[in-house]
Amino acid sequence: MELTAKQLEIKLGKKEIVKNVSIHVKTGQFVGLIGPNGCGKSTLLKSIYKSLPPQKGTVFLNEMDILKTSEKKVSQRLGVVGQFNEMHFDLTVHQMVMLGRTPHKKLLESDKQEDVAIVEDALKRTNLLDYQHRSYLSLSGGEKQRVILARTIAQQPQFMILDEPTNHLDIRYQLEILTCVKDLKIGVLAALHDLEIAAHYCDYLYAIKDGEVYTHGRPDQVLTPEVIESLYQVKCQTYINPVTNGLGFAYGI
Amino acid sequence: MIISVIMRIIITEKDRGGEILNTAAANPKMGNLYYLVILLFIGLIVISAVYSVSIGQVHIPFKQAMSILLHSLTNGRWGTLEHIDSESYLNIILQVRMPRVIFALLIGMGLSLCGAVMQAVVQNPLADPYILGISSGASLGATFSILIGFGSGALLSQFGVAFGAFVGAMITSIAVLVLSSIGGKATSVKLVLSGVVLGALCSSFSSLIIYFANDAEGIKSVTFWAMGSLASSSWDKMPILAVVILLGCGLFLFQHRVLNTMLLGDESAITLGINLSVFRKLYMILTALITGTMVAYAGMIGFVGLIIPHICRGLFGADHKRLMPGTLLLGGLFMIWSDILSRTLIHHVELPIGIITSVIGSPLFIYMIVKKGYNFGG
Repeated sequence: MELTAKQLEIKLGKKEIVKNVSIHVKTGQFVGLIGPNGCGKSTLLKSIYKSLPPQKGTVFLNEMDILKTSEKKVSQRLGVVGQFNEMHFDLTVHQMVMLGRTPHKKLLESDKQEDVAIVEDALKRTNLLDYQHRSYLSLSGGEKQRVILARTIAQQPQFMILDEPTNHLDIRYQLEILTCVKDLKIGVLAALHDLEIAAHYCDYLYAIKDGEVYTHGRPDQVLTPEVIESLYQVKCQTYINPVTNGLGFAYGI
Repeated sequence: MIISVIMRIIITEKDRGGEILNTAAANPKMGNLYYLVILLFIGLIVISAVYSVSIGQVHIPFKQAMSILLHSLTNGRWGTLEHIDSESYLNIILQVRMPRVIFALLIGMGLSLCGAVMQAVVQNPLADPYILGISSGASLGATFSILIGFGSGALLSQFGVAFGAFVGAMITSIAVLVLSSIGGKATSVKLVLSGVVLGALCSSFSSLIIYFANDAEGIKSVTFWAMGSLASSSWDKMPILAVVILLGCGLFLFQHRVLNTMLLGDESAITLGINLSVFRKLYMILTALITGTMVAYAGMIGFVGLIIPHICRGLFGADHKRLMPGTLLLGGLFMIWSDILSRTLIHHVELPIGIITSVIGSPLFIYMIVKKGYNFGG
């Protein structure tokens, strides 16, 4: 599925958070959003997944006008892994992942064998099969995030949005989550804060600064010392990591 | 004595079932245990109801009470009235105590239903049916109609306190809804804050009316009303209460998908295709309607709506598909016993039922907090 967001403008109160941003994600592409805290990445993503209506602009997933389609229809195709997933009540991991089937269910429809199989598959992909009877609140941050990913996979989306999915996670969890998403082979739009990870996983990058697209292109085109210095206000040198052969970054103030 | 019995029933039930049932929630093989507990609740309700109609100022032997009930329920096909000691038993049971037990059952179901729904709506385990200003609004309405009245001869005055309480509850909850929707979505925090603010406003008006009222009898009945009572239950009040509560229960039993996503919060709910602010308003109006009706008939009965959903989360987990039926039944059972206690605890005195529910409820709640491992459904 192809995601096309055109000329999005979002104001919160009187402040313009996102100014005239257009983003395009081709079928099966893994596209990253980078930029400093508060540059408008999350706000932009929120307006794409209908949590925050933009003042101007359009968002299309293939031919579906996301902003004008019901939440239910959108959620059948678009899955979201958000930043904060705290709650006051507890569910088991299995129940939590089962909630991912909600968009495909009528109000009175019960969970069928098919849904159980889908949930089981999602648990397997995220290495959570042994956890399914555990309580969600008792899990660590990394495990919780994996549960949310499993729930989103159980949603069987054809496109996925991730908002800093690996925030606060240890390295292993970061790699596990992103590899799992990459293996789904669906279109992905992800806000990322780790540049090495962005360089490694993304096919294409948008750099956001002050609510505008600063530049965009392949990771090696975007992740240059000049762009990074301007985006994050740090001194930066890039190098080819001799072990991974990927892009490496050295920062200083 | 009876307190300890009922507490033991509920607590051992939780001890035995707690952990097993929680894991069972997700495990289909363990599902039978859940249905067993539900059946147990239903059985206990039936037995408690029969026990409840047999005791009181006039003691009617359990067996005779049962045959009177059987006889009247089956239209005389089963059960016999031959061994009944006194003709008056028939009247006492069918006209006085029966409606009262059914009232207790319905109101227990309604309160715990509204409690569970409200806790999901505001995503806060501290919520109860009265949280969104409904209680203070109802109090204001009742105080107004008791101490000032709607004027003599007016159509309104015929309905009296019940009407005043209902109107007060509805007006406040609508005001809370409007206030919390100003400037965007009605989030759970805004709802709670609006409820607290408008509640305080209503309370101060009630205090004002009481302060200037020169009516000791009226003030006493305001106080009595605020503590809750099932004393006014009768068959002719039954239809409205039964229809409102049973319809509400029937509806919310099938809302488990939405209620579950409510636990996740607005953001996640939208990505699962459910716009919570719409459902929040709808559920609030429905619970206000149910609570308003209950408050109108039975006054303010505290604690049931708070504690029963929590006990049930401890038993069945937070998944509303399992939680709701259990909550309804346990709420009804709890209320029947509270009513029994309120009538029998002190000889020849009927305590306001609100006192009983809080007295039983608080220790139970403390027990749950102290006992390690309870984290709202896990």
